[in-house]
Amino acid sequence: MKIVTKSLLTLCFGALCCLAPLSFAQTPAAAPTTAPKAITDADVAGAPVPSADARSKGDPDGSLTGTASDIAVTDTKKGATIGDLVNQVGQNKIAINFVWTLVAGFLVMFMQAGFAIVETGLCRAKNANHTMMMNFMVYGVGMLAYWLIGFAIQMGGVGAVANLGGTPPLNAEHIITLFGKPFGIFGQNGLFLVHRGTYDVSVMVLFLFQMVFMDTTTTIVTGSCCERWKYAAFIISTFFLGAFTYPLFANWAWGGGWLANLGTNFGLGKGYCDFAGSGVVHSVGGITALAVAMMLGPRIGKYERSGKSNAILAHDIVIVLTGCFILAFGWFGFNPGSTLGASGNGSLRIGSIAVNTMLAGMSGSFAAMLYMWVRYNKPDASMSGNGLLAGLVAITAPSGFVNPVASVIIGLIAGVLVCISVEFVDRVLKVDDPVGAISVHGANGLWGVISIGLFADGKRHYGGSWNGVAGSVTGLFYGDNGGQLIAQLLGVATLVGFVFTMSFVFNLFVDWMVGQRVSAKSELEGLDLPEMGALGYPEFELKAEM
Amino acid sequence: MMILVGILITLSGFVISVLSLALNSNAARLGVVLLGLAVSLFGIIGVLNRAYLKNAIWKKG
Repeated sequence: MKIVTKSLLTLCFGALCCLAPLSFAQTPAAAPTTAPKAITDADVAGAPVPSADARSKGDPDGSLTGTASDIAVTDTKKGATIGDLVNQVGQNKIAINFVWTLVAGFLVMFMQAGFAIVETGLCRAKNANHTMMMNFMVYGVGMLAYWLIGFAIQMGGVGAVANLGGTPPLNAEHIITLFGKPFGIFGQNGLFLVHRGTYDVSVMVLFLFQMVFMDTTTTIVTGSCCERWKYAAFIISTFFLGAFTYPLFANWAWGGGWLANLGTNFGLGKGYCDFAGSGVVHSVGGITALAVAMMLGPRIGKYERSGKSNAILAHDIVIVLTGCFILAFGWFGFNPGSTLGASGNGSLRIGSIAVNTMLAGMSGSFAAMLYMWVRYNKPDASMSGNGLLAGLVAITAPSGFVNPVASVIIGLIAGVLVCISVEFVDRVLKVDDPVGAISVHGANGLWGVISIGLFADGKRHYGGSWNGVAGSVTGLFYGDNGGQLIAQLLGVATLVGFVFTMSFVFNLFVDWMVGQRVSAKSELEGLDLPEMGALGYPEFELKAEM
Repeated sequence: MMILVGILITLSGFVISVLSLALNSNAARLGVVLLGLAVSLFGIIGVLNRAYLKNAIWKKG
């Protein structure tokens, strides 16, 4: 305890020292005084172009590459015009946004590797191959389901996505009327990515980015269910999650569905807001994980007859923490990438979003480490990792709407919440969650969604509106009348009441069809041989359980 | 049977929350949404989980 108190005092002193230089203000730069001059077609046509002779000698310093000669010209006789110039500027904007969104999507795809080694490291060596294979195949199974039908359900009626140059083919949302208002239920265009004109460059970029988000959801469930989930049941369950459960909620939140339109139709703030998916991605995964883990029951040996919980130790904490770092790296694609662009419509917020993301991750891991240190006298490694992930999960929804101080607070709360939630799930619910995914993604995803209704500071304009409502997203602490918080809580109620039920009912069907749980014999032996036919670590000497 | 009851209670919590949209006052909406959330949580924790815990593997020794 003493060392913790001393450390905290030292940190406070250090923070005060860091604040001291803030008293020196910088002199602002002088504003330009000359008025801008209008340009004409003649100016454009007469722009200097490097000669062929100069270009043939090479361009070691890059000054001759990327000039007026690279502008696409519609009429070669006339030369470049202002129209050509403007078109080029438009294409450059969309190109920047395409590249940004694609690279961000590639980063999110790499998070699969992080999840795989976090989950495998936290299970026992005898189940390493099985756990890795589940994490490996969520990519394929989830993507297949999403390509076949999931993307159409989610985004088939989203309408124009301005940052990607519009996505005109995605224009058919199935709508019902409730309380006299239109309720978007699911999208209808985009099956197989060719249906109704969706073979389109903007749609492809949107698909890639949304697909890797969906895959993140499916990989959350494998963590809670590892070491006892039948592989065949996992495949069917994952397919359903990627094809129906995830896309349906994602449509309601992101695809022009009824939750997004709570602001337009019912005056609830800017409607349900979830910038990068604390609710859509993480809570859907965490809540589905709860449904399946509850159904599966705990691993043999997890609880004694008295109900006392036993710790089943991770087999490799080194890869667990390495995986957490990979996830934190990938999160820079997850959150800043969710602007779907780096140019236009307030997209320069990517800087703040990236910083908010790293700050919340920091405060989450810090809070979890301190909580465990104070409560159990040791700074637990796996919970520090889970604290980092909890902070990142919680900031995912609000990252685009809050300031850095709020991000740190959201992360701190997430870091403590994940520790309390893990204890609650383990000791009160007696649901066995080997990696803590229900708490990291489920509980903290819900916290992230709620935090928007509290901390959104109303200073962020993404093209002047959000979900079709003019103005910025504003939370209760920044003067909102509570409408935004109610919209967020409706999202939470939908996740807990509807998404849980949908996941639970479908997995009951899977249980009836193929059985969710492996035999006790297989479980005791370890799932690598009975389920996968090969050991993850064939040269290890594995201890048999009795 | 308990599982079916649990599913219905959990889903009815969602329906209650959506019904809040029929109200005009934000305070009333907030109350009804929270009520719906509480009903869903009761369905999951109080009914469904309890039904599974009754036949939990560790109770069989």
